Amino acid sequence: MPENLPQNDRDDGWVERVLPTELQAIRESEGDILRRLDELCYDEDQRFAVRLAFEEALLNAMKHGNKMNPDLSVSLAYRVTDEAVEIHITDQGRGFNPNGVPDPTADENLQRPCGRGVMLMYSYMDEVTYAEGGKQVRMVKYRKR
Amino acid sequence: MDIQTDQRNNCRVIAIKGSADASASAALRQALLGAIEAGDTRIVCDLGQTDFICSDALGVLIVAYLKAQKRGGFVRLAAPQERLREVLETTRLDHLFQVYPDVACAARCA
Repeated sequence: MPENLPQNDRDDGWVERVLPTELQAIRESEGDILRRLDELCYDEDQRFAVRLAFEEALLNAMKHGNKMNPDLSVSLAYRVTDEAVEIHITDQGRGFNPNGVPDPTADENLQRPCGRGVMLMYSYMDEVTYAEGGKQVRMVKYRKR
Repeated sequence: MDIQTDQRNNCRVIAIKGSADASASAALRQALLGAIEAGDTRIVCDLGQTDFICSDALGVLIVAYLKAQKRGGFVRLAAPQERLREVLETTRLDHLFQVYPDVACAARCA
């Protein structure tokens, strides 16, 4: 497992973290982003949406991107402002085609235990874009007023 | 997340209290599949105090549902809060699971 992973809080509000590929790291980083949302009084619906998409994206990066390999890490960057929440997550895997994920809401796929993460991200965030062959995802949630 | 179990109308009621996030999925899997393996194939998941659920936890519910069904039983969902209900609607899992307004109703209709 990588040790002494770099952490960085920039002056422009961006928070940068490198997470080990372990599920506990999701909860810890989630706690920080939720605290920032609470400080800016985002409403509960938006808080839930960001939390869900954040969790799904990190879970995908760790499980599907890094195959839960403890020698690999996930790069995380996010910024919470009064206008929006923006999140970037990058894994060290081989990438994938997000357009190739079967529709989990199709009748024939309802009984599949996996494959809902990407759909939930698209459903709960305002913008979701992939880069680096699917290894990086950028998500944005604009604040509703 | 805290899991509490109870018995009602010949059903095993499993209450998921707190956040069913990725870290909690293993415990949820153990509780649900453990109950089914032990012979409790009629299960009601009480979501009344579940404030969050991720796709991993949904996957555990689905695996439990299929396993219980194979043994002639069921996994039903009860009392989901509004945001969880929306997750079930967004994923169309409300077309897979029978979702009841409360535990009593879910356990009664057996």
